[in-house]
This record gives sequence, C-alpha cells and structure tokens, in this order.
Amino acid sequence: MGAVAIIDYGMGNVRSVANAVDYCGADPVVTADPQEIADASHLILPGVGAFGDAMTNLRRRGLDEVLHREVREKGKPMLGVCLGMQVLAGVSREHGDHQGLGWFDADVVRIIPETPGLKVPHTGWNEAAPTRSHPIFAGLAKSRLTFYFVHSFHMRCRDEADRLAIFEHGGRFTAAVARDNIVATQFHPEKSQDSGVRLLTNFIRWRP
Amino acid sequence: MLKKRIIPKFLLRDGRLVKYVRFFDNERMAGNPVSTAKVYNDYGVDELIILDIAATGDPDGASRRATIDVIERISREIFMPFTVGGGVATPEDVNALLRAGADKVAVNTAAVRRPDFVKQTARIFGDQCVTVSIDYRQVGRGVHAVYIDGGREKTALDPLEWALRMQDNHCGEILLSSIDRDGVMEGYDLEMIERLNERLDIPLIVSGGAGDLRHCIDAFDAGASAIAISSLFLFTDHSPIKLRSHLFNLGVNVRAGADSHN
Repeated sequence: MGAVAIIDYGMGNVRSVANAVDYCGADPVVTADPQEIADASHLILPGVGAFGDAMTNLRRRGLDEVLHREVREKGKPMLGVCLGMQVLAGVSREHGDHQGLGWFDADVVRIIPETPGLKVPHTGWNEAAPTRSHPIFAGLAKSRLTFYFVHSFHMRCRDEADRLAIFEHGGRFTAAVARDNIVATQFHPEKSQDSGVRLLTNFIRWRP
Repeated sequence: MLKKRIIPKFLLRDGRLVKYVRFFDNERMAGNPVSTAKVYNDYGVDELIILDIAATGDPDGASRRATIDVIERISREIFMPFTVGGGVATPEDVNALLRAGADKVAVNTAAVRRPDFVKQTARIFGDQCVTVSIDYRQVGRGVHAVYIDGGREKTALDPLEWALRMQDNHCGEILLSSIDRDGVMEGYDLEMIERLNERLDIPLIVSGGAGDLRHCIDAFDAGASAIAISSLFLFTDHSPIKLRSHLFNLGVNVRAGADSHN
C-alpha cells in the first residue's frame, strides 16, 4: 500500500483528514502535485465551503484533469468528503448554477426539511443508513453508523444505484454515494471518532 | 434522526483552562486543555467549544499565540469537531484558527462592532465555519441586552433581534450564553431558548446554567439543538458520558454512545 494523497485545493480541513489517516496507520500526503497524486495508492478529496469556489480552485490547479486521469481512467480508489462528495455531481444550485465534475448524474440543492422546526445547516451526529453493502462499512454494526454532518446542501442522485447511504432530516437525503472505485460521504469521517476512524481504515485497505 | 448535542465548553487564559461564576467571579484553574480534550475525545463527547477569554485586547499577542499552540496540539489528539472563539476580529484570525485545526470559529464582539464581518467570513470560509456567540443579561422586566467584550460592555441590542440579524448574515449557528446563569448551576433560561427556537432557522447552542439532568432535558425540550456545559463537568462528578447515558435512558434523542470506548 502506498501513500494516501489528500488533495489540497485550498479548501477543506486537510490537516484533520491527514491526522486521521495517520492515526489509522497509513501515510498521508497533503498535496496538489500531479506526481505525488499519481504515486499514491488512495486519494481523498476533502472540502468545506462553497461549491463554486471549490470548482474554480480545482480547475485553476488542473486538479480536475489529474483526478479524471487517476481516478476515472486508471481506477485509483478515491474517497470524497462533504464538499468533496458534492463536486462529483453534475451541477449545484448554491449561489447560482455551477458545473461540477459530473462523475455522478446528480445535482446539489439546498436542504429543505419537510418537518417544521428542523434547522439548516444540518449540524451534528446523525445515522447513515446503508442501502447496500460496501467495504467501507465493514465491521460497523448499525449502532455505530452515526457520523458528524455539517452542511446546508445535499446531493440528489438520478440513479438510485449510485446512492450508498441515506440520512433523515425531515426527509431522506443522500449520506453517501459509490460506484466502482469511487466512494464519497456527506458526513466527515475524520470528525466521527471511532466510527469515522473505522471507515477511513476500511477505505485505506480497499482494493476495488 | 439528528441527535441533540452535549458540548463541553472550555475557557482558556494563557493556554490554561479556567472557570468563573457569572463571567468574572471566583476564578479557578481547571487543568490542562490538551489532556482534557483527549480524555473527552476518548469518552466520545459530541463536540468541544474552546473560548480564549484573554484574547480581546491582547496587546502583544502572547495569549493568542498560546491559544494557537493549544489548538494545534488538541487537533492532533481528537477526531471530533471543535469550535474556537475569543477575540476573533479579522479574516486572518479566522484563517489562523482553522489552519491550526479548528472546525468552526466563534465570533462575538467583532460581529457587533463590524456588522458585515460575519457575512464576509461566511463568504470566504463557508457558513458552517462561523458560529455567532451572543452573551446577554436581563436588564429589566422582560428586557434583555447583548453584552460584548467578554461581558464588560452593554449594547442596545436584544438577543433575539441580534440572532436573527446574524442568521441573515449567513452564520451557521448561534451560541447563546446567559451571563446571569453562568456557573450558577440553577438551570438554563428556558423562556429565551423558546423565543429563539421559534424564530431561528439555524441551530441554537445554549450555555449557562446546567446543574443537573433536569436542566438539560428542559433545555432540549425548549428547542436547543445543543447544550454547552462547563461547571457541571468540571466541578461535580457528572461526566459527559454519564450525562449522555442518563439522558439516553430517559428517552432524550442523544447519541447512544455505548460503543464509544476502544
């Protein structure tokens, strides 16, 4: 197993992710360098902030092309986290319409809970209910599938087969997506204590 | 379903934990912040709030540097969200704290002195990164006032009106602290919690007053998304885990936490 590259595009808590990856016993490299990304065995795309800024930053650094080559063409396993999941969609409606990477047939829209009194941003610990099995959930019993979320937008998948897990907040929303060598979570594994550490460990060991 | 949160709150002065009653009285030393944070992480608490109380008006920046050092060391030890506040006045301050490892930054005095600061910060770093901290006192019958500068300076702002304005400025959360109830351990200001919960669309964390289980249950029932707790954990034998476990067993929607130990 090689290094785990944590994509640094100027947005996102790369240090927290790196600390968690290190705690799992792997070798984190926070980088935007195409060679270091190519040398890594696994990639993590973090992200906190606005969708439009994220896409601008990714494109400006040429990372959209690097990720396409490493992940879509070469099949390297990648974990997207929070905004790093949302940018995989085709389009977001946050502060105007923005094009994402388009790896999933999905859009990103504001969370509107159907139950009155529920607050947005969706902030805190909530259950992620898997809709199918996946290696990243190995060893995590239902009682441990509670993770930390903090977001105002959610990803709507047009293909139900892409959804991996859902959360409830006055409606059912996408908590995780997965296809082939790509998996992504709306919640923050690096902020979810032992459940998150287990999920990260599972990702790092994953050979899709 | 989203769980209610119990958030231990630390006060830092020059890199050490301290505690007061009603913001100013009865200062006590309360231990090492890094080891305490690590213990809380191992216990599986929901989140942490760390306020640097020396920071507003810290002339040579020594207190601020001590705080950054503590934050960096804490972020190496814990895998849960934590919010840092105290004297945050510029985007550079916010950036320094986020780079040191904080997930959210609490803004108090600066938000009042510069009304567009919150909007600016939310635009650069994301709504979720900005918690607006509001300290208040009752100043007359049914009349309350927001206080800034660590509770030293009274403003003409009403806490609810101010919270709504800050919500409009795109902060992610409100941290509401009752100065009158701080450290007294006689319960939260339930009426104020209900007033805010009714009108706010964003989450509300309340602070000031937890003395027993009943106080916590009442605060959640009044609509708080989270309760910040200080005295109860530092000066009684309640632990965050016992508290959450009792609340869970009483049917309150908190994390079960049975698996939180390694």
